[in-house]
Amino acid sequence: MNLTLPRFFWNEFRKRRKKAALITFALFWGTLSILLLLAFGQGMSTQFRVSFSGLGETLIMITGGQASLTFEGLPKGRPIRLYREDIAYLRERIPEALRIVPESYNNWQVSAGGKEVNRGVHGTTAEFALMRTQVPQMGGRFINADDNAQGRKVAFIGWNVAKDLFGTEDPVGKEIVINRVPFTVIGVLMKKLQDSMYQGPDADQIYLPFSSFSMIDSQREIDRIHIQPQGPEQSKLVEERVRVLLGRKYRFDAADRYALGVWNTIEDSKEGLAIFKGIEIFLGIIGGLTLLIGAVGVTNLMYAVVKERTKEIGIKLAIGARRRIIIQQFILETMFIFAKGTFWGFIAAFNIVHLIRLAPVNYESFGIEAYLLRPIFSLRIFVAYVIILGILVFLSGIFPALRASRSNPIESLRYE
Amino acid sequence: MIELQGIKKVFRMGSQSLEALKGVSLKIEKGEFISIMGPSGSGKSTLMNIIGCLDTPTEGEYVLDSDRVAGLSFDQLAAVRNRKIGFVFQNFNLLPYATAWENVELPLLFDGKSARKRKERVAELLKAVGLYDWREHRPSELSGGQQQRIALARALANDPPILLADEPTGNLDSRSGEEIMDILTELWKQGRTIVMVTHNDRISAHSQRIVRLFDGLVLP
Repeated sequence: MNLTLPRFFWNEFRKRRKKAALITFALFWGTLSILLLLAFGQGMSTQFRVSFSGLGETLIMITGGQASLTFEGLPKGRPIRLYREDIAYLRERIPEALRIVPESYNNWQVSAGGKEVNRGVHGTTAEFALMRTQVPQMGGRFINADDNAQGRKVAFIGWNVAKDLFGTEDPVGKEIVINRVPFTVIGVLMKKLQDSMYQGPDADQIYLPFSSFSMIDSQREIDRIHIQPQGPEQSKLVEERVRVLLGRKYRFDAADRYALGVWNTIEDSKEGLAIFKGIEIFLGIIGGLTLLIGAVGVTNLMYAVVKERTKEIGIKLAIGARRRIIIQQFILETMFIFAKGTFWGFIAAFNIVHLIRLAPVNYESFGIEAYLLRPIFSLRIFVAYVIILGILVFLSGIFPALRASRSNPIESLRYE
Repeated sequence: MIELQGIKKVFRMGSQSLEALKGVSLKIEKGEFISIMGPSGSGKSTLMNIIGCLDTPTEGEYVLDSDRVAGLSFDQLAAVRNRKIGFVFQNFNLLPYATAWENVELPLLFDGKSARKRKERVAELLKAVGLYDWREHRPSELSGGQQQRIALARALANDPPILLADEPTGNLDSRSGEEIMDILTELWKQGRTIVMVTHNDRISAHSQRIVRLFDGLVLP
């Protein structure tokens, strides 16, 4: 029969619940806003990571440039070009590089089924797919080593090229004509987020085996060298090695920043991730402060509730309530209100996040909505939130409760 | 059974202090019905609160049933109020959110009585004051006389030997007041000690003995 005192408390609470509604709402609102704040923060930084890996993971891209310093009697202003032999040259000398891949480029007329478009065409090797996140759609594949070895006339195309030339039809197995030479489509790029690019989004590009590309293209030099270091921590070292080695070969100063075009996405993404980490921390701090304000608000309301119930406490004390009973009642009420407000706040935040995630994001124009419309609801954050706020609310309930239990019954009875 | 010896009570408010009781000595025997009378500010409510263990004296000795009240803790005093003393207030002091039944049940609940015992006792008390049919009503739905009868039932819940009534008829019309006094007289006849504060001579006429207070002292 020990349950009867809590049951009495429950009855009293139910009769008073309209007055508790304000506190419940404050907790509901606080929970909702903090969870949303953190969900958006996390969503943004995750989207940033995803979109950056649209270009590729841990990549250094080298292009030719122009010497800006005199070197061993050679004048400045000399163009520095890259050639296909450089791939083998660098592979032999940079053991810290996991992959080194060439990329040639030209802009050609491409036609199929009577339609003609002008598109960027690239010649490269199988490993390019791994370095630049080239994932084929179902039923297709990227260029492989055999394609390169045998000089096969095959092409891997972006989803926009597929749409422009074939509409809704499946292009795989069909023929396209590039620079008057027929090629067979072997795969279409799967849609992806891509916020960094060099010759336009991958959706608009066509990829051929490096060997096949060389057959239809007269130039000997290559456009770009992609290097993937063994690990991101080696990116700086690898970059410096390339400058020194190519500087030795083509006779320019390794310290010449303009002799080679170097795009080190690892360093870029470090910076970008730092910014987003910063935003996440910032949102976390705002969330923390909101939490604190919320707790102060709840404390305030609890004090008001105790004050309002001073007379009632006096009556209970007069008819023999012990201190423990008064404290118990306040703590139980506070924790119940807390549970109720937090529960509904959780439900609301969870649903809002998942509703927002239903909104479509346009992959071609990678705009602000891709960052904003993909919030992530984290259960871990919610659990941490419940623990922290639970402690704050418990404290904000215990102090008014202690005060109430220590009150002089006579003064409480006189209170109007 | 109630013995007060040289009771003083000083209220301090900032730099000012007010001596509400200036050395009251009083002995109330078991089964007595006494009225405490006096003008406003004479200290009768303060004396009543000290007798009822709601307040403690600044100085002096209070012995209740051979226990020295001064040595009791907060919770021990609560237990004394719960079991030995029943209170009836001028403004009833019922819990507004609780029903008549719950109001009467509360002292039993605080005493840890079993559900069965509580149910029997509350039903018995509500029938005794003639309000069993009103058990599910809240105080705001009851008349002043009915509320005071509920308060009386609550005061009697744990069958205390002492009943303290502070102007029990003060907020009632004369007919309801008479009803309450009839019940109090009946309870006294059953053997309870009754201490009542009033400044109404007609009400005090129900008691055996009248103690008059003036300016914090008992008039001889």
